[in-house]
Amino acid sequence: MKLTKRLHKTENLTLKARLDKEDVPAESLLKDAFRRLVANKGAVVGIIIIAILFFFAIFGPYITPYDFLSQNLELRNQAPSFQHLFGTDDLGRDIFSRVIYGARTAVILSLSITILSFLIGTIVGAIGVYAGGKIDAFIVWLIDLTMSIPSLLLVVVINASLKPPLISWMEKMYLQTKNTIFRETIWVDFILVFGSLALIKWPKAARIIRGQILSIKNKNYVTAARASGVSTFRILLRYIIPNALGPVIVLFSATLGEAMVLESTFSFLGVGVRPPMPSWGNMISDGLRVWHLYPHILIAPASFLAVVTMAFSFLGDGLNDAFNPRQWE
Amino acid sequence: MWKYVGNRLLRWIPTVLVVLLVVYALAFFGAGDPIKLIFLRAPGDVAYNAERIEVIREEAGLNRPFLVQFGDYLKHLVQGDFGNSLVSGRDVGSMIKNALPITLQLGLVATFLLAIFGTFLGVVAALHHNKWLDNVISGFALGIWGIPVFVSGPLLMVFLVRYLNVMDVPYGWHGLFNAQVILPLIVLSITPMALIIRQSRSAVLEVMSEDFIRTARSKGIPNIQIVLKHILRPILTPIVSQMGLITINMLNNAVLIETVFGIPGLGQLTVKAISGSDYPVILALVFIGSTVVLTVNLIVDLIFPLLDPRALSKKEVKEA
Repeated sequence: MKLTKRLHKTENLTLKARLDKEDVPAESLLKDAFRRLVANKGAVVGIIIIAILFFFAIFGPYITPYDFLSQNLELRNQAPSFQHLFGTDDLGRDIFSRVIYGARTAVILSLSITILSFLIGTIVGAIGVYAGGKIDAFIVWLIDLTMSIPSLLLVVVINASLKPPLISWMEKMYLQTKNTIFRETIWVDFILVFGSLALIKWPKAARIIRGQILSIKNKNYVTAARASGVSTFRILLRYIIPNALGPVIVLFSATLGEAMVLESTFSFLGVGVRPPMPSWGNMISDGLRVWHLYPHILIAPASFLAVVTMAFSFLGDGLNDAFNPRQWE
Repeated sequence: MWKYVGNRLLRWIPTVLVVLLVVYALAFFGAGDPIKLIFLRAPGDVAYNAERIEVIREEAGLNRPFLVQFGDYLKHLVQGDFGNSLVSGRDVGSMIKNALPITLQLGLVATFLLAIFGTFLGVVAALHHNKWLDNVISGFALGIWGIPVFVSGPLLMVFLVRYLNVMDVPYGWHGLFNAQVILPLIVLSITPMALIIRQSRSAVLEVMSEDFIRTARSKGIPNIQIVLKHILRPILTPIVSQMGLITINMLNNAVLIETVFGIPGLGQLTVKAISGSDYPVILALVFIGSTVVLTVNLIVDLIFPLLDPRALSKKEVKEA
């Protein structure tokens, strides 16, 4: 009795699996991948942590008990307490609030870095594939070049040397136009950080996207669709994008994590987001100065960054397994 | 073989030229006037004096067109002359000669450590495939890979020095055989170690499914002997192939670690040069960084066929 029941169940499952396969390709691929993803415990923990991070980033101002700038010189370097969950720093600012605002900085910057580098990567990769010949060879050389040098140093230099002229240009513009937009130099930091970091992040995106377009473009089902008169736009929407989606999603999550680390690296080295704007990187750098006396100033931002990078690693690993069934066994 | 080496070197030259050109252009068009930096340390009581500035500019040859100056720089570079620092006025070559050995020692010892421990952990994980030990090691490797060294370094330091009290504050450079070097070495080797663990684990898993392992097992050869004789050799290839990536990782991390622990190596020189807009030093560092990465990649490609003759024949087929 039990056996027949189980047999019945498997039969149903295979039928359902078959039905899934004949479904619309975009939905079935994502559904399939999602099922494998939630079966991976590490990835689920990663997703939860990243969801909390985004929640903090979006609703930060409504959760934080204090303003990230408000100083209280009577309560300097306080150890963690119920009033100040993570304690206060050398200016009496609440570290919990600053860490939450740091999450905001990290999310804004890493999202814009990732989106910009994917934009550049897609355009350059597509140009390479469709132009072919010397242009393609040049693009491949450019990708190899940027991936074979110690690029961190290069972008730090780019960032550091473009900042002074840009700020002086903005001051000049302010004097000419009296437009207060040009007084907000904090945006120069943001724009320079994500501009220069997208510069080292786009080659990887371009390489993957170029490879995907190249392999899918010549698949038989695309040729068949073209032969039967399907429009280019529809081919792109129905066949190329759904099939290229897997590796691109994996790369997107990985780039997001790496960009977050790079942003804090910049701020740690003092070329990224400048104080008083909180970034986990410049908070770690501040904490490192007094770590022996007040370790809590260092521990809070460092632990947050460590946990978030680990979450991205586990999510990336889960996504990789979910979207590469062949590798998955 | 020499033809191959020559080819690689020829292809490397445009890469380095482009990188140097970018940095030189940034210095020339972006960073503001280098004269003011020289001016600040000019001898005598020179007030802000436009004529005097023009004289210094003329003397330093900084009023010539961009490409002429860049060509001049390259000419000196080929002769081994990196120029003088804009901030201290010292010879950049000698500054690098002081800093390079420190970073080199740290890097080499860290590479040695990570190769040994990483392979060991990877092999152990693979031999306990899908058991708890494998899960712990793989999880460790996955978790540690993304964490930046300026997070793991300070956190370990706070934990070990302040809470466990097992070591002094590690700061500065007192030679390789000083206890203060332990923590920087651990932090420097632990991130790329994750890469080696993953590589060697998957390599061992692949080798274990080969026929000759089954043959050895069926002949009753003890496990330890199988690991030493049959498994360790084939996994050298994937590990060696990661050396280029590891070198880039270490160069980047050296900048951060030397800042955290106050070690006067290339990394600290880099940070100082950038915060002082000291372009001759930055150019020299970019040059040295790319040279180191090229050299490591070249050595890897040359010893690769020695480890795995199949790689050579594949390459020849591809090139033919």
